[in-house]
Amino acid sequence: MTEIASSEIVETVPSALIILDKNLIITSANRAFYQTFRTSIGETEGRLIYNLGNGQWDIPALRNLLESVIPHRALVEGFEVEHDFPTIGRRTMLVNARKVLSPGDHEGSILIAIEDVSEERAARAESKRIWQLTQSIVDTIRDPLVEADMTIVIASKAFLTMFETTEAETRGRRVSDLGQHQWDVPALRNLMEKVLPEDAPIESFEIENDFPGLGRRVFNLNARKVSQPGNHAHRMLLVFEDITDRKQRERDAAMLTNEISHRIKNNLQIVVGLIAYEAKWTAAPCVQGYKAMQGRIGAIAELYDLISQSSRGPTVAVDVYLREIAKAMSASLLGGGSGIDIRIEAEALEIDSDRAVPFGLLVNELVTNAIKHAFPDGTGHIVLCIEQIGDEIELTVADDGIGTPEAALVRAPEKHGADYVAIFVRQLGGRMIAPAPQASGTIVKVRLPLIMGSPRNAEDIAA
Amino acid sequence: MARLRRAIILDGQDGYSGPVLIVEDELFTREIAMMMAEDWGYHPTCASDVSEALAIIRSPQHISVLFTDIYLKDDVNGGCDLAREARRLRPSLRVLYTTGNAASNTLKEQFVAGASFIPKPYSPDQLKFALENLIAH
Repeated sequence: MTEIASSEIVETVPSALIILDKNLIITSANRAFYQTFRTSIGETEGRLIYNLGNGQWDIPALRNLLESVIPHRALVEGFEVEHDFPTIGRRTMLVNARKVLSPGDHEGSILIAIEDVSEERAARAESKRIWQLTQSIVDTIRDPLVEADMTIVIASKAFLTMFETTEAETRGRRVSDLGQHQWDVPALRNLMEKVLPEDAPIESFEIENDFPGLGRRVFNLNARKVSQPGNHAHRMLLVFEDITDRKQRERDAAMLTNEISHRIKNNLQIVVGLIAYEAKWTAAPCVQGYKAMQGRIGAIAELYDLISQSSRGPTVAVDVYLREIAKAMSASLLGGGSGIDIRIEAEALEIDSDRAVPFGLLVNELVTNAIKHAFPDGTGHIVLCIEQIGDEIELTVADDGIGTPEAALVRAPEKHGADYVAIFVRQLGGRMIAPAPQASGTIVKVRLPLIMGSPRNAEDIAA
Repeated sequence: MARLRRAIILDGQDGYSGPVLIVEDELFTREIAMMMAEDWGYHPTCASDVSEALAIIRSPQHISVLFTDIYLKDDVNGGCDLAREARRLRPSLRVLYTTGNAASNTLKEQFVAGASFIPKPYSPDQLKFALENLIAH
């Protein structure tokens, strides 16, 4: 009963098993052996193991195991043999061998279990190759970077060099624990915690701090989730871009822009002062002209703040500019307690800074006209609206006042504002749009191209 | 002119509360501001830098409003420092700042409590409204 059970066990185990006698003649083998090595009982039993399959088992390492090790140690486990088998190709076999003594058999037999671990070893080799490849790629990138899950797995050579640290000091540590905790910033920690579970990359997170040996530095951090082929483990690639020099150049440029803006506005203050001085000695009917001039200077001056604050290059945010101009005009023309309200409805749009001055002056003229002429009783609403229509920007200045004859805008010679309007519209490459008829008030609509191209022809401008 | 000044002073019995100290390092701008303030009935006095201004503030001279430029000569933040010290010496002093620089939030955070700001270039009307609002509140 026990013997039958043993043989059945032998037949069902997945490892290939063979039993050799003291002369290394195969006395039996199991089904797994025949399947693995594509052979049969007839080709196997009664043969010297070395002669099996045209001598494919005549492996020096196996000879050593069977003839030198087993007779003395009786048990060998985890003996790995890599060999080119003619029938099944190159394989890695894990061999366990044991000397077995049966009752009455003093010579004993040798039980050999052979496990084909080729695929496992190949996968391990591939994994190692990918690891080395990853490390090579990581090391070729000039910006310092680390690959991490919860803790750092790989740190690039550039990282180790820049931060004067070693692989041993880095691996297995959290980014927030590195160095003197320069990266331990709550906002960064929060973002890093979302990179893997939510696949949420970190884009351009700036950290400025003191680093030993480097001094004060600004780093731009970018992180994203990466996956290795054939591996379900996800990791985070965290790149540290040193932007100290770029940042310094930006700061120098901003300081210079600010300084220039400061000087320009102080000079404009002198111009406004000159006008104020002239106005003081001027007859009352002419004072309005001087005040309008001060308003126009204010509209130009607003631009310099926006340019010095803008980091978006050679454009100005029209909506922000519009709000600032309106605010300055409210303070300048309306003062406290005025019954005229200026409201802004503006989409976020950009205009090239070359056109920002005529745009500001145009808005200034249209709003000044409305304030001066639309509300004899001193109360009403002005709405400034900016929206994108196709590839154009539409500026609308609407009031709910007494209304203006359509022709008055361009025909009345004493209304310089109307003349200025035509000039500024032309300078903007734009055109006036006839508004839909309305019951009350005045609506002026101007369309200008989003991007300044060739100037429109005279007919469009006069329209 | 005298009549206008008197009218404003009388009109502002409950609002007008004394002279304005104008601190501005640019001579022409300072003179024009003085001229305007005089025209509106304030009794302006002036200084061209922080130390001159502090000398006036430390004196017994009555000052109701400090109207100061921020960038004073080489002192980038002179006006802010001046206002803080002035407020320490005269807790009820009203403060109006001006500057040619952009009025960033970082800058405004340095203002004393309840202060106002007008950017340069300010027109006479803007300065007038700013002073009136400051005195009224």
